[in-house]
Amino acid sequence: MRILFQLLVAGSALAANLPSDHAKRMERGLRLFDDEVASTLKQHCLKCHGGEKVKSDFDLTTREDLLRGGSHGAAVVPFDSKGSLIMALVRHEKESNMPDGSPKLPEAVIAKLAAWIDDGAPYSSPLIAGKKPKKDPGVVTEEDRQWWAFQPLKKVQAKSIDELLLKNAKGMTFAPPAEKSVLVRRLYLDLTGLPPPVDADAMELPALVDRLLASPQHGERWARHWLDVARYAESTGFEQDYDRPFAFHYRDFVIRALNEDMPYDQFVKWQLAGDEYEPKNPQALAATGFLGAGVFPSQITANEVERTRYDAMDDMLSTTGNAMLGLTIGCARCHDNKYDPIPTADYYAMLSTFTTTTRMNVDIHRDGRVTSAVTTMDAKKNTPVVKDATRMMICAEGYDPIVMHTQGGPFFDKTFLLKRGSTDMKDREATQGFLQVLSRPQDFKRWQWRPPEGSKSSGRRRTLSHWITDVDHGAGALLARVIVNRLWQHHFGTGLVPTPNDFGKTGTPCTQPELLDWLAGRLIDGGWKLKPIHRLILNSRAWQQSSARDAAKEAADPANGLFMRFVPCRLEAEAIRDSMLAVSGRLDETLFGPGTRDENSRRRSIYFNIKRSQLIGSLVAFDLPEPLVSQGARPTTTVAPQALILMNSPQARSWAEGLAARLQAAGDGQGQITLAYQLCFHRNPSAAELDAGLAFLKSGASPADYCQVLLSLNEFVYVN
Amino acid sequence: MHPPTLSRREMLARTGGGFGMLALASMLEAAQNPFAPRAPMQVGGRAKSIIWIFTNGGPSQVDTWDYKPELARRDGQTLEGFDPKTGFFPGSVGGLMKSPFGFRQYGQSGTWCSDLFPKTSMHVDKMCFIHSCWTGSNNHSPALFMMNTGATRMGYPCVGSWVTYGLGGESDSLPSFVVMSDPLNRGLPKGSAANWGAGFLPSVFQGTWLKPSGAPIDNLAVPASLTPQRQRAQLDLMARLNRQALAGSAVESELNARIESFELAYRMQTAAPEAFAIKDEPEHIRKLYGVDEKHCGHFATQCLTARRMVERGVRFIQIYSGGMENQQSWDGHRDILGNHSGFAAESDQPVAALISDLEQRGLLDQTLVIWGGEFGRLPIAQKGAQPGRDHNPHAFTIWMCGGGVRGGHHHGESDEIGFKAVLDRVSVHDLHATILAAAGLDHERLTFKFQGLDQRLTGVENPKVVKQVFA
Repeated sequence: MRILFQLLVAGSALAANLPSDHAKRMERGLRLFDDEVASTLKQHCLKCHGGEKVKSDFDLTTREDLLRGGSHGAAVVPFDSKGSLIMALVRHEKESNMPDGSPKLPEAVIAKLAAWIDDGAPYSSPLIAGKKPKKDPGVVTEEDRQWWAFQPLKKVQAKSIDELLLKNAKGMTFAPPAEKSVLVRRLYLDLTGLPPPVDADAMELPALVDRLLASPQHGERWARHWLDVARYAESTGFEQDYDRPFAFHYRDFVIRALNEDMPYDQFVKWQLAGDEYEPKNPQALAATGFLGAGVFPSQITANEVERTRYDAMDDMLSTTGNAMLGLTIGCARCHDNKYDPIPTADYYAMLSTFTTTTRMNVDIHRDGRVTSAVTTMDAKKNTPVVKDATRMMICAEGYDPIVMHTQGGPFFDKTFLLKRGSTDMKDREATQGFLQVLSRPQDFKRWQWRPPEGSKSSGRRRTLSHWITDVDHGAGALLARVIVNRLWQHHFGTGLVPTPNDFGKTGTPCTQPELLDWLAGRLIDGGWKLKPIHRLILNSRAWQQSSARDAAKEAADPANGLFMRFVPCRLEAEAIRDSMLAVSGRLDETLFGPGTRDENSRRRSIYFNIKRSQLIGSLVAFDLPEPLVSQGARPTTTVAPQALILMNSPQARSWAEGLAARLQAAGDGQGQITLAYQLCFHRNPSAAELDAGLAFLKSGASPADYCQVLLSLNEFVYVN
Repeated sequence: MHPPTLSRREMLARTGGGFGMLALASMLEAAQNPFAPRAPMQVGGRAKSIIWIFTNGGPSQVDTWDYKPELARRDGQTLEGFDPKTGFFPGSVGGLMKSPFGFRQYGQSGTWCSDLFPKTSMHVDKMCFIHSCWTGSNNHSPALFMMNTGATRMGYPCVGSWVTYGLGGESDSLPSFVVMSDPLNRGLPKGSAANWGAGFLPSVFQGTWLKPSGAPIDNLAVPASLTPQRQRAQLDLMARLNRQALAGSAVESELNARIESFELAYRMQTAAPEAFAIKDEPEHIRKLYGVDEKHCGHFATQCLTARRMVERGVRFIQIYSGGMENQQSWDGHRDILGNHSGFAAESDQPVAALISDLEQRGLLDQTLVIWGGEFGRLPIAQKGAQPGRDHNPHAFTIWMCGGGVRGGHHHGESDEIGFKAVLDRVSVHDLHATILAAAGLDHERLTFKFQGLDQRLTGVENPKVVKQVFA
């Protein structure tokens, strides 16, 4: 296996293995090629491996392609037919037997093939005339860096979002502004996930924006968006799906950070390495829950220990890539990414960042000491006793790792480059590094952080955080683009890049590149604070447009990439439930702390405990994603189980009763219906709606029946 | 799989899904809706429905369907070169152990079957056996995920999700993908709902888990504080108010779909309980399955429910035989004799009845029945007072029946002691490609774009459809 790797990794390794008489042998091999081997390859192999198809990613059209091998690794080792996989396959010693679906080649032909490989497998010309070898995806070129997302931010001169949108609007103009009451409802649901109070229109809109951005409900609403991206849950997944009872501190960290308008670069740094920045700061420690939120098996057999560890590190790296950089780095685990310039070597260089990083529970004591959690159990309640300390799950180094039922240790001291992602095929040890395409220049020392004397940490995660936030030389420009795009996405329903987790070549291209770079620049110039960006967006004409149908614009710009109209969208699962609770008058506004899985809970939905095997059914029905990998955008489905929840669940019925009780203060039927419309839809009922309501109530239906209807209406769950 | 004109969001907004891909077909032009019932890709079999009897825990091939006389001859000998890490308990490696069950031949095909399945074995000439299956993990949950989703890691879409994604549903009142788990409180398969999750496919394609006790589906009953009449009045008012607000909306089709979804939900309230009403089945059918037998009544009920679902257009049904692990499932680490006898007795008559019943109704030809678990078991003993067998990822047998498969056929072989698959080896991805083909789906074309790639059930290693299983 060692030899295979040397061949794959670099030409220089090849040179080292050349036999002394290689020149003579290559000459002989060329004759073999011309006389017989070329026609054998053309006749039996080329169709599937370079001609009509490239099966198993193996192409033998040119010698360079042949030597690169395919998804099963190296196929041919020059001068060593015995060590060449291709020979085992054609000799039918290994599966899949080759040529596929045809009889075995005659022994004489096989012998010639072997002799040719033993003579270095030379080509006199490509098997398809004029064909050039494929570009090696393991090498990052200047051309790769030209992809827009990898470029430095463009300096865009503009005064406003509106100016930049209108510049690209192909002659269209903004839709007229929506009515004030519509905007107020839109604003409340957008920023807080709750419907507005009846008297909310009294304030001017910009002042209302400031007020809602300053409200604690803002963090509760927007933290949920980030938790999707962070595949956040509070259990291990897999076999037993054990609870992680101290994981919720991460969720609280996100809420607090957004409410305090923590600079986004710091938000990122702390999630990757909070413990290496401020080892005694509980918030910095809690932030590392980001790395630890993924699944992990609770039962690991001896021969799975190592693979499981690589899976766990992959989860940290892949989530970091998706969430922070909008890149699918995980693809490069088994092979160089075919679309984006992410070679496998870059993947393992980045992966080694997490070599010694694991989940751990720590106790933060009142006197500020942080120690590994020492578990003493309350024998009666079978729960851990924590005295005078806050117990927290972090994902870091230097404390006692959480250990599952395993036949091995929690981590390995070294991370290796793996061929095809297999722990059975180790190459050299990986040393820390970053994506070449986002490093200008490739100068690791620029970012390297060495922990102080006596630290139990490797410093690698803080080193990563330096690179990822470095706007001029590292990934910082992309980092900024990805987050401003997420903000835009949650204000408009669609991002400027419609695939928020994929800024690479397989994503959907940015519809407004100048605007994206302008916003990213504003973010960085403003000290990475998010609230000013929210303000820019919410005070724009673009965001305040009416959502009324405009058939001409729909025809001209069906995907609304020009943003010359506002498209209504359905609320997410949590906002629907929270809104129902809010209008029922039963919402418990308590912030933070451990969650529950009781559907009757009256707290906001973000405080549900998220156990992977027991997700909250009423949220899943409304498209809560499974927290397994980073999710950039939720689908919006319309299915019958959603209707059943609103029609029949005890919660929906009980909230309808709550709303009905609130209405009693409003006097007669007309007064009650009017108040109900104000609470639910932030408007007065039309005459027809009033009549329909009065007739319904007279027909023998209860006020709760009526309220349940209102909570189920399209208007209640859509933002206009 | 992507329609030319609709965005994903529109597409999803317009579909029913999950609950039977409740396709809202009346509102849709079939050509535009990839989740409405669809014609298969015409690649292999003719199964319209699939019932997977998932023998959870990993039944032993050498004690069930893979007859190995050589193993009896070498009983007690050491298996030379055996890697003790092959199974789960490296410290309990015993010698080769013959099957404690007798074997005899059945049917025209002369298929050797163990005495565990006297009734199911009567159908051997309709069953197609694959003896050369192998998988990549020796541990339950990774192997379960592998068998269900094609990946040992958590979070990928399962076979049932892919099939319903590919074919849509044919019932307008039932989920199109349902899962039944052990009703005797022995637990869910390891990894529980992740085994029937939709992964990165839209969540509408996840399996609907029918609760083993109480109402099988949540929120199907009108709340006590309402009456059906009052609920009807609610829906009428709702429709009226919703329709008034439709005019001029930029998302009229989404809103319309939502109006329709309430009507659908209303119909389901009566249709779904009807589908579960085993009590309506005539006495001779109940007897055939063994619904009222103590030893197999629970599994008989599930198999009979499966048949009723197939009749009503449900696409994919998975029934787990056994609960979580060890003695709760086919995971016979201890006492292979007692363990396998117990689970076979629970399922033999119901499974046999299911095949007979489907056949007599003319449904077998369009229904693929699969029997198999996540891996096999070792031919050596796991030492103990009552010896068992440890996990074996290297060889196991599954069988299929109906849906156009070749009856009485045996594909592939394990070695002479049943330790490793040696001839015509079939990987889990090959098996998945074959199951999809049985339903008329081409595994190379059944793709979904996620993280920038056209993802598929069968991965990137070019697996092959086992064409020999089709008649």
